[in-house]
Amino acid sequence: MTDPQVAIFMLSLFIFLVLLGFPIAFTLVAMGVGFGYYAYFQADNLLNNRIFYLLNQNTYSVMENDVLVAIPLFLFMGYVVERANIVNRLFFSLQLAMRHLPGSMAVAALATCAIFATASGIIGAVVTLMGLLAFPAMVKAGYHRGFASGVICAGGTLGILIPPSIMLIVYAAIAELSPLRLYAAAIIPGFTLAGFYMIYVITYAYFKPSIAPKPLEEEVPPTRVIIVQLLTSFVPLALLIMSVLGSILFGLATPAEAAAIGASGGLFLAFCYKSLTWTGLKQSVFLTAKTTAMVCWLFVGSWTFASIFSYLGGHAIIEHWILGLHLEPWQFLVLVQLIIFLLGWPLEWTEILIIFVPIFLPMLDTFGVNPYFFAMLIALNLQTSFLTPPMAMAAYYLKGVVGDQIELMEIFKSIFPYLAIVIFTMVLMYNFPGMALFLPDYFFGIGK
Amino acid sequence: MKKYIYFFESLSIWVGRAFGWCILILTLSVTYEVFVRYVLNAPTVWVFDMMVQMYGGLFLMAGPYALAQDAHVRGDVLYRLFPVKAQAWIDLTLYILFFFPGMLALFYFGYEIASDSWRYKEVSWNSPARIQIYYFKSLIPLAGGLLILQGISECMRCILCIKNGEWMNRHEDVRETEVDLIRKARESEREAEVLKNR
Repeated sequence: MTDPQVAIFMLSLFIFLVLLGFPIAFTLVAMGVGFGYYAYFQADNLLNNRIFYLLNQNTYSVMENDVLVAIPLFLFMGYVVERANIVNRLFFSLQLAMRHLPGSMAVAALATCAIFATASGIIGAVVTLMGLLAFPAMVKAGYHRGFASGVICAGGTLGILIPPSIMLIVYAAIAELSPLRLYAAAIIPGFTLAGFYMIYVITYAYFKPSIAPKPLEEEVPPTRVIIVQLLTSFVPLALLIMSVLGSILFGLATPAEAAAIGASGGLFLAFCYKSLTWTGLKQSVFLTAKTTAMVCWLFVGSWTFASIFSYLGGHAIIEHWILGLHLEPWQFLVLVQLIIFLLGWPLEWTEILIIFVPIFLPMLDTFGVNPYFFAMLIALNLQTSFLTPPMAMAAYYLKGVVGDQIELMEIFKSIFPYLAIVIFTMVLMYNFPGMALFLPDYFFGIGK
Repeated sequence: MKKYIYFFESLSIWVGRAFGWCILILTLSVTYEVFVRYVLNAPTVWVFDMMVQMYGGLFLMAGPYALAQDAHVRGDVLYRLFPVKAQAWIDLTLYILFFFPGMLALFYFGYEIASDSWRYKEVSWNSPARIQIYYFKSLIPLAGGLLILQGISECMRCILCIKNGEWMNRHEDVRETEVDLIRKARESEREAEVLKNR
């Protein structure tokens, strides 16, 4: 076998092992070490192969990577905010403030999901908390169950797109892009998508009022109460997020620093809501440790894997093959997005980003595609990985907490319009790349 | 065998949690840095190294913890459908073939690299403070060693599972909000069922 063939074998074996269910981080390490041993094989030096040093070097570069530092900090912020008992206030105050809109509760649920997911960045938590809180409230108010479930799933997933999101930090580390510019790039697409979701919900509820009845007048508390509720729930959280984002965009802080401020702010917020308990703090710390280990060990594996894969010529052969198809840039983009979309059915975003996206990155230059524009297309696309069966995590989380109240099939069915909206937004952004590129250029100057 | 499993697991969990507290130090020190930089106009020189070391130690040493809690991502679309014994056989084989070589490399060669670093008392070049990094580098073989121990305990789990036909329970630990809420929802459903049947 020639080296590139070995590389392709390595990739296939890896996919096979992942399908067998072995932890992905360690599968990557194993493939890197095993095939690296072959690549650097020296008959006179059996035990002192270069790959062993390479593995250690890669581990060390993950340890001292100053972009990845932001991951535990944002996670910690999320876990703290999650435990601050803020969602219910947020949802009920927003819902009352918006009561004159058609489908007000659904719009409020979307807004709550978007804001809360932005602060927490953890999809599952948002979807389950809202499933326990907003879903019964909507059903009680006479909303159609399927409609209510679609709103929660789609809204909860927004957290990986709207900055400060952990996914974008991971992407920045993989593609060696500036996390600052990525955050700036994601703002317009993120809010556009959230806006489209809301427009869809409002229009649907306007033309079909039976699925989303208006709240009864006598149940609405006096305006003063609503304003107080808004001031104590929406405003502090929005301020926290805006200060994190603002300090990043105006170049006052690196993402890691902004994340640390966010985490401190989260602790302060929890303290003000009188929900900063010792147990809660301990839970947040331990969960941060576990989740950070999960994400960062993936990097240890994937950097070793990727360096061996490209050393053996794996990247070159895939690139050669794709270039051989003589695609136009737009065909290339459609092909890549289609592959990512299909991968999103069985896989989750971490696997897709860390394993498959790096394969396409070196080809961007050849096709003249702006890497930030490409990143945004992928980020939008990954929204669908939570929503497409069989691994529609958002739907499973929701089904998990609401139980027999709704069938899984009905949740899937109600999610489809949102998938269409995601794809529509991608097409829109393809035609107006400025959506992704305007803000980074505006804040950080034109350039790479 | 159960005793060994519990011992290794408690060790991994304890170490992982202990290093977990780095996040608090990390948060507070970086916040402090931002404060002194903008308010007092006196940035510190040590914060960058502090940040990197706290984060590096945190994720590296929490690796065995995550393994002991089965928190590393798996592509388990198919895996979940297999019978329990087949799962155990697959895991056992894959652990022996694919897990230990890499971890041994981390342990043995990491030890070599770290001992070099100790010998010439290596310091960081990121800032004029020139913080020592040989402690930091020693974490790699330490993590490798702990992962090997934890890996042995995972293999024992597989063997027990092959014998008994069911997975042994893991240590109780904090769970993600979604997992916790879903479990609670299940329990209350079950209680309602029991009440109905009475």
